[in-house]
Amino acid sequence: MGFTRKAFGRTISAVLGLFFVLRVFAEVVVIDDVGQEVALTSPAMRVVSLAPNLTEILFFIGAGEQVVGVVEYSDFPPAARDLPVIGSHNRFDVEQILSLKPDLIVGWRSGNSQEDLDGLKRLGFPVFISEPGTVDDIVSLMERLGELTGRQTHSLSQAAAFRASFNTSRETYSTRRQVSVFYQVWEQPIYTLNGDHVISQLISLCGGTNIFSDLKQLAPVVSLESVLARDPEVIVGGGVFGQTPPWAERWQSWPTVRAVRNRHIYAVDSDHIARMGPRLAEGVEALCLVIDKARHSS
Amino acid sequence: MFNLQTDRDSRRFGWVMSGLAVLLPASLVLSALTGSIAIDWSVVAETIRTGRPSIDHTIIFELRLPRSASALVVGASLALAGVLMQALLRNPLADPYVLGTSGGAAVFALIVMLLGLPTQTVSLAAAAGAVLSLTLVIFLSRDAGGWSSTRLLLTGIVVASGWGALISFLLSISQQSQVQGMLFWLMGDFRGGGPGFVHCLVLFAVLVFSLFSSRGLNLLVAGTLKAESLGVHTLGLRLALLIGAGLLTAVAVTLAGAIGFVGLVVPHMMRLVVGSDHRRLIPVSVMMGGSLLVITEMLARTVLAPRQLPVGVITAFVGVPLFLYLLRRGSRTQTQ
Repeated sequence: MGFTRKAFGRTISAVLGLFFVLRVFAEVVVIDDVGQEVALTSPAMRVVSLAPNLTEILFFIGAGEQVVGVVEYSDFPPAARDLPVIGSHNRFDVEQILSLKPDLIVGWRSGNSQEDLDGLKRLGFPVFISEPGTVDDIVSLMERLGELTGRQTHSLSQAAAFRASFNTSRETYSTRRQVSVFYQVWEQPIYTLNGDHVISQLISLCGGTNIFSDLKQLAPVVSLESVLARDPEVIVGGGVFGQTPPWAERWQSWPTVRAVRNRHIYAVDSDHIARMGPRLAEGVEALCLVIDKARHSS
Repeated sequence: MFNLQTDRDSRRFGWVMSGLAVLLPASLVLSALTGSIAIDWSVVAETIRTGRPSIDHTIIFELRLPRSASALVVGASLALAGVLMQALLRNPLADPYVLGTSGGAAVFALIVMLLGLPTQTVSLAAAAGAVLSLTLVIFLSRDAGGWSSTRLLLTGIVVASGWGALISFLLSISQQSQVQGMLFWLMGDFRGGGPGFVHCLVLFAVLVFSLFSSRGLNLLVAGTLKAESLGVHTLGLRLALLIGAGLLTAVAVTLAGAIGFVGLVVPHMMRLVVGSDHRRLIPVSVMMGGSLLVITEMLARTVLAPRQLPVGVITAFVGVPLFLYLLRRGSRTQTQ
């Protein structure tokens, strides 16, 4: 009995000692978006990204050379297209991830399956789970990924520039006359976003009001009648910025809506506005421009 | 004694028909009256008179009434298809989709959605898929003696399972944004615009044919051999029923995706009330199916306004208690 207690005591001390040693020698320690600590002994050189926006962020902060694996639709910047694809965001090939020998895996809480992420953690990989909900979250994410990949200086300056472009847009547009906006995520059925979604916050930044900001669900299906009732001044949806979107034709049957009557139906690039990444800055610029167009000629 | 029963049944039938004759237009009016916007009827009247456009008029005549009309046609089609299927297969568990028509429609519709083709083609694809599936089942289940109920049922179930697997596959390879739209279609969602001329024509034609064949249908339920011996051309009739039911299902899924429950339960509900004579069962089922779906379409729009729920979800919520009530009442009168 005494023997076991001594051995037990020794094991505890050894574990504690190891823990402190690792902490002391862990060069990089950051907290991810679910509150977990991610500790690396040296900056990550082989990163696997489990979401297209995370790939974009990694390239943006200068860590593009350190990315060794991505998921489907990681199509920006062009260099990312040459990287090995390890599956889709909710169904990836763990064996392929293993073969790439990553030293850091960057995931996305609402986009990746929790089981898959836990499985990767159990295999011993450091997993950083992100969940950016606002522009500030993206800035913080950029800075922390910069730390993890050893690109602190570059990431700080890039993140600052990213934040600055939002501030510019806010200063220019948020004080102008409020415009009622309907953001259409999908055509059939009609999906929109409520006030908690980042796009709704961007609409406010541009001096607009999301007509469905009061709804409880993040991405609710609404009836056509309710859009007619709320009579938006401008309708924005996904497409190619500068071109009339194909779904605009369906709205022509409802000229009682101000946005249809005054021809304020616009597309912004979905990849810019829907991805929580560096191109959100371009997305918000486009969004503010189209809202401003509706503001001046209604 | 026999006469008494017929009299009571006829009276009951009379009551039910009158009730439904009131319910059907009432449900349409109720549906036109309810929605997200309060309608100013004076403005509507003015628009009708002067022709000047107004949002109130637009909402009533271009949004609510077309949807209700679609609901009416779909509900009636599904209920009638259910009656025909149950007679054809002599199986109380048969519904319009048991032969795989909705599965085929769904697969083609989902493929079109996956490819990102314009939304108008989804309905066309659904219709094509339904017809293709029906043709496939007819072709595969034929044997020397025609189409036995068992062969039809088994072939239909297997084909439906095949389509089901394809649907799961298509859902799994689609992008997140597409999947939401697909699921909404699969749960039952009404297209914009009302029922087309073709849809109404199909419903009318099959309804008239079914009413004329009511006697044959009554005898068919007793068994193919018995029906033959009583002068019914069973092969021709059964093929016609199959095609009729298939076309009705194609109409329904084209207009509203896959709405379940109506085709299975409405015929049973009405059997509890008016009996199994198809001369009575067919008209009441058609009217009940239509009314039921008009009401559930209205509820789908208004229960969680401004959010819109898929109609197929509400149909079960409305229909299950109703059916259980009728079932209990039916069994109580039987024991009495």
